[in-house]
Amino acid sequence: MAGLRLTFHLAGINNQNFLMRDEQTGTYWQQISGKAVSGPLRGSQLPFVHSDELNFGTWQSEEPQGTVLQDAAEYRFGYARKDWDVRMQRAPTVIDFREHGLKARDLMLGIQAFGASRAFPFDQVIREKLVEDRVGAEPVLLVVGADGQSVRAFRDRVPGVLGAPEFYRVSGNQPGALLMDAATGSEWNFQGCAVSGKIKGICLEPLEVLKDYWFDWRNFNPSTTVYGRK
Amino acid sequence: MTSEMQRTRLISVTVLLTCLALSLTSVVYPIYVIRPFRAQGARELAIALAVLRFRNAAVLISGAAALAALVIYWRTQPGKWRRIFATAGAAFVCVLAALARVNIYELMFHPDDRPSFAAVSRTKLDKDEKVIAIKIGGAARAYPIRNISYHHVINDVLDKVAIIATY
Repeated sequence: MAGLRLTFHLAGINNQNFLMRDEQTGTYWQQISGKAVSGPLRGSQLPFVHSDELNFGTWQSEEPQGTVLQDAAEYRFGYARKDWDVRMQRAPTVIDFREHGLKARDLMLGIQAFGASRAFPFDQVIREKLVEDRVGAEPVLLVVGADGQSVRAFRDRVPGVLGAPEFYRVSGNQPGALLMDAATGSEWNFQGCAVSGKIKGICLEPLEVLKDYWFDWRNFNPSTTVYGRK
Repeated sequence: MTSEMQRTRLISVTVLLTCLALSLTSVVYPIYVIRPFRAQGARELAIALAVLRFRNAAVLISGAAALAALVIYWRTQPGKWRRIFATAGAAFVCVLAALARVNIYELMFHPDDRPSFAAVSRTKLDKDEKVIAIKIGGAARAYPIRNISYHHVINDVLDKVAIIATY
């Protein structure tokens, strides 16, 4: 950023979303948005690196050559249990938005894309396993992985196929196949790539999904809409 | 005591008290506003962050001014207790100048300054442990949430790209 390699520290809190400070310029950055909110680089935006929140088993099978952050021995005693996000649902919040029948710490999957923000109740997505919806005017697809917990989202556009193809879940013939599209009959895996059929090898455009509590998502996305709620 | 000496004493005490108030505000106000489990308004947060940004220089100048005011005050030959209070006040300004260099949040949440990584095959995690996964170029990396939800910020490099992983 600005020709500098920045080193960040957790340096404060803004309505329970962290503020980070970079050592090099002293600028403060909002965690959820990556935007500089105070200091010399105010107004700058850190570019996002696409990320997924997945179960380790799912990621391990996709990336057997990957590397994993290891515990720091001196802090291991303080690490959270693996259901950290669920346990934190009991913690108090300082702001609340009583809209759409949602509680402050309901877990949501937020997508900010195509000039719009939309939140999907996590439990509902897990139950439905496949969600075909729109963010702004664009068709999107939310898919639950075979582990029943990991979720990815994609833009529902396939090169060479008119409109937004309809998908449905299958127990595939091909290893890893989760979906089939009605337009070409191709099978698709959890990474959003066609693994059989005439468009084999084509991948859907992945979308950034933020798993977040409702109060936090709503606070930083005031015009958000919510899937399945009016 | 001459009226000139009285005037000098009044000015030096005023400077000392102003420095004390300025330094105390610089240290306490950001902690008051940016504290966990308190709602932050946009305006007060902007002010608190501006204070954090400029306070190091402000409290240093304030400390120097307080010491200068103390010396001048002593030359007006005040009584023993007044000297003690003035010295304590100036010393407190200097302590606040040191405290202003510490961001309490950077101490509260322990950073992992030297993150280490291992191959998947050498990592023991339950299959249902949640991870934040990224891929840059051909390099894939996972940050276990039980770890990163403690440190919150990991400064990292993957495939020669400097990144920050935060949760």
